[in-house]
Amino acid sequence: MQKFLGKHAICAGILALSLGGSVAGAGAKDIVWARYGDIDSLDPHRATSTLSLQVWSLMYDTLLAVDADGHPVPHVAKSWTSNDTGTEYTFSLNEGVTCHDGTPLDANDVKYTIDTAFDSEKPSLTKGSWGPISSAEVIDPLTVKLTLETPFVALIPFLADSFSSIICDSNEDAAGFGTDTAIGSGPWKLVSWTKGDKIVFEKNPEYKNFGKLAENPGAPYMDGLIITTVPEPQARFAALKTGEVHIAEPPFDDVAAIRESGDLQIMVAENTGQNVFWEFAVHRPPFNDKRARLAVAHATDAAAAINLIYGDLSIPENCPVSRGVFGNDQDFCAEYRPAYDPEKSKELLAELGYSESNPLETALLVWTGGNRQKLGEVFQAQLAEVGIKASIEIMDIGSLNARVRQENENTEGTTGSMDMMTWSWYDPDILYALWHTPGAYRGYTSPELDAILDETRVLTDPEARKAKVQEAFKYLLSNAIHVPLYTPGWEWVFAVRPEVKNFHVAPFVYPIFSDIKIED
Amino acid sequence: MSGSATSMPHRSSEPVQAKHGFWRRLVRTPNGFVGLLIVAVLIVCAFGADFLAPYNPTKMGSGPRFLPPGGTYLLGTDEFGRDMLSRILYGSRLTLLIGAVAVGISLTIGMLLGMVAAYCRGWIETVLMRSSDILFSFTETLIALSCVAVLGPSLQNAVLAVAIAGIPFYARTCYSASLVEVSKPYFEASIAAGAGPFRMVFHHLLPNVLPTMIVVATLGVSTAILAAAGLSFLGLGAQPPTPEWGYMLAGSRDYINRAPWLMTIPGVAIAITVLGFNLLGDGFRTALDPKERDR
Amino acid sequence: MLSFLAGRLTMGFLTIFVTTILVTLLIHLVPGDPVQIMYAQSQGTTPEQMEEVRKSLGLDKSIPVQYAMFIGRLLEGDLGNTIRGGQPVLDVILQRLPNTLVLAVAAMAIAILIGVPIGFFAAYKQGTIWDVTLMITAIAGISMPHFWLGLILLFYFAVDLGWLPVSGGGPLNLVLPALTLGLSNAAIFARLTRSSMIDVLSQDFVQTAIAKGLPKKLVLRRHVLRAGLIPIITMMGLQFAFMMGGAIVVENIFSWNGVGRMAVEAIFQRDYPIIQGFILTFAVVVVFVSIMLDAVYAFIDPRIRRSQT
Repeated sequence: MQKFLGKHAICAGILALSLGGSVAGAGAKDIVWARYGDIDSLDPHRATSTLSLQVWSLMYDTLLAVDADGHPVPHVAKSWTSNDTGTEYTFSLNEGVTCHDGTPLDANDVKYTIDTAFDSEKPSLTKGSWGPISSAEVIDPLTVKLTLETPFVALIPFLADSFSSIICDSNEDAAGFGTDTAIGSGPWKLVSWTKGDKIVFEKNPEYKNFGKLAENPGAPYMDGLIITTVPEPQARFAALKTGEVHIAEPPFDDVAAIRESGDLQIMVAENTGQNVFWEFAVHRPPFNDKRARLAVAHATDAAAAINLIYGDLSIPENCPVSRGVFGNDQDFCAEYRPAYDPEKSKELLAELGYSESNPLETALLVWTGGNRQKLGEVFQAQLAEVGIKASIEIMDIGSLNARVRQENENTEGTTGSMDMMTWSWYDPDILYALWHTPGAYRGYTSPELDAILDETRVLTDPEARKAKVQEAFKYLLSNAIHVPLYTPGWEWVFAVRPEVKNFHVAPFVYPIFSDIKIED
Repeated sequence: MSGSATSMPHRSSEPVQAKHGFWRRLVRTPNGFVGLLIVAVLIVCAFGADFLAPYNPTKMGSGPRFLPPGGTYLLGTDEFGRDMLSRILYGSRLTLLIGAVAVGISLTIGMLLGMVAAYCRGWIETVLMRSSDILFSFTETLIALSCVAVLGPSLQNAVLAVAIAGIPFYARTCYSASLVEVSKPYFEASIAAGAGPFRMVFHHLLPNVLPTMIVVATLGVSTAILAAAGLSFLGLGAQPPTPEWGYMLAGSRDYINRAPWLMTIPGVAIAITVLGFNLLGDGFRTALDPKERDR
Repeated sequence: MLSFLAGRLTMGFLTIFVTTILVTLLIHLVPGDPVQIMYAQSQGTTPEQMEEVRKSLGLDKSIPVQYAMFIGRLLEGDLGNTIRGGQPVLDVILQRLPNTLVLAVAAMAIAILIGVPIGFFAAYKQGTIWDVTLMITAIAGISMPHFWLGLILLFYFAVDLGWLPVSGGGPLNLVLPALTLGLSNAAIFARLTRSSMIDVLSQDFVQTAIAKGLPKKLVLRRHVLRAGLIPIITMMGLQFAFMMGGAIVVENIFSWNGVGRMAVEAIFQRDYPIIQGFILTFAVVVVFVSIMLDAVYAFIDPRIRRSQT
């Protein structure tokens, strides 16, 4: 028996040791923000998730920033010029921006970032979004020139998004860049990243804000920022209540009660650019027929569905790119978007030869999380009302992307496939990626649409571009290729503890922590 | 028990006594009685769901949303106004089906492997049993999870995964039970009397290991149900709007503050079902082996 | 004893060997093109890059060559990179593995500390109302889905009462997940201990000892407990594996940052390098623990210590 006691003592010892090492402690002056998931990488070229982008926006700077309406404004670059053909952009940088390792941020860092994005061995995951950049040239330490093969007007809004985060060139020699270390020039400096658990930041005392949407012109007011991962919404809620966490996405169903009690503030991000929409596998029946797609569009009552799941936290969207993005115009889009009209839907289905005994059958693919599976369930019931038999399959966004492409490449069979796709982008150029030949998912394409989308990339006059972009909207909507449902759709609701003051969220769901002051 | 009669010998020991008055002994054990009762009720629910369920289990707006239990909607309604009682009843059908199919597959394959190993001996035995030992040490959860990782999340795949994960356990159990039989004198006598391998395995071995395997399989149903519900809970099994209990439980978390019964009811349903099979299995064991009665 | 351990070691190596083969094959069993599935999330991936990836994973080679490559990399401590974010898989796993081990060990401690005394007591009081009640409780405990128990504990103690923290990896965070996992396994230990003790109690040497007039308590402590605990130890290896398996579900409920939560996430994300790494790690841990326990067992059980075979 003594041996057993001994064994237990050893176990207990191991336990105590391992626990001692992992005690989480937030200092008094730290902001704690809990999210459902973790970042994929600290390297802005190695991931595309909103979770990652939000973090990069805190630790890196970008050449440009956006104003409250989502329009690009100067930031690290104090001004820029382009040649008449739109193939050369010259940026002059602000003086006094320093990287977290103390080196000044200059044109070389910008060049380094672009060169690594186009690295032939290991290009950035977002290489396509940088556009046709052929070279980045250092004119002098505070001037950098980008040369493009062809005009690309979406470059400017891209340089205002965290996808284009400037990576300091000192990362070249840093061991474990993206995994253990990352040197940026943003308001928050990385202390450590425990994968799956938390990212710890301290304030960057040297920080200078030129154009980001923070009132604070310099270093953050609080000493540190801890971003933790708490997947379970109710657990985040509990942590908010106890004060363990300051800011987190609450359980959607509890928002009304939270508002009523007034214990926590609820912040809903605006101008997120997030677009949730139906798209279809168009290279086989039934959705190769426009009428089948319209039948689905007419059968969906997005307003009723989101009201059931999100209450007033989200709103129906009429345009293929959401509020906050160039070209969005609710009235214009409402004219062309197939409206909720179940009778019309039934007529179309009957016309196609479907009936109760021979229903239109389709897979309905939905991205996990954010209660989207519940929303899918409501849509499934709405489709059933008109006699469409949809079977839900839930998967991660990565798998969803893969699956949608597979479904588009599959031309055999008669069971359809449709999906509740989600995209967030700062510019209507996303439509080019999605619907210009060959199409991100190999879905619908046509020469007419290609021609329209080609022009949206090169028209430098905003009014002319807007007209083209809206022409694309009209085409996509009236052919029920891209049927917008609602906006925003993910990571856009924040419950904030009352002692936390001045928390706000910039367009495209970038939360800002530099202005925060926590009262005692 | 000597070699005199190849016609009867394998029925000469305990199983014969066990068979005699088996059901009477079963209902006399408290565990067996309660277990039998629960399982019987479940079977009635599963088969009678079409008649017993007052509403369509997947129809939204059968009633108001979030109605607490009691009244017209006996177990309340869920976030979409679906009747919980109807969902639970249809869920019992799914649950029993999951248990039966999963255990059916793993029991059949496992028994076959176990009996063949015990009968053939030699390298076949070594290979079969070593590999099932190896797989067994991985635990069912890991095997099931790996299968789902390969096959992708769906209820069918989850059942298949649980079935595959169970094979090593049944193979090992059946193998040990078979070894006991194979070593009995009548067995060698039968072989000497010219019975072929097929006959030996299916006519002599099978009837003798079957009682043990039934006990194990009954207990195994509860494990399989738990495992499949666990996968659905993680989102790796049933997809909406299937009224699968594990999936219902997972979906209830969002509404815990407003409608706690949405979490309680499917949880209780799973627990009672699993308890039923555990008790029944226990009762079977006691009833089959009178020596067990004192333990 | 040495040959006993040698046998166990061989078996352990065999298990890990088989696992490496299964893990290599895993990616080929996936329906569809794994590379396309894995890389579809990044719109920028060109067909040429996919070809590169296919080459770097060795998917353009024959399966035996792939296996050799896999083992080669494995021996260098390289489990590949994650699809999401390109992190070294080994890093990602090693950062979380201690958390899972702590959870499993704590749950094991709870299961033993609760289960064994209950089982012992029930055996001692065999046939009485105590015995019956305890054993019914145990069977009910086994039947309780641990994901349900976990939710109840989470909502009651963490959300409603706010007694325990819910994020991070501190000792207080461990309480609920360890309890969830420990309680359901305590029931198994209770049943096991009871039947093992009853076996020992009915054996001749115990009856003789009591008949000789030795105090019952002394007999219980000196003979029964020791002999009765041996089967428990042999079961511990298996139970530990079950705990590791159970941790997968429990970690997901309690946001515990272990390899189980990582694995479920990876399944959703189709991050096959992580899944492969997870399976291999799981196998290695289970094998290692069971060999350790076998060594303890061999040391305690005199029959094995003396046996020459």
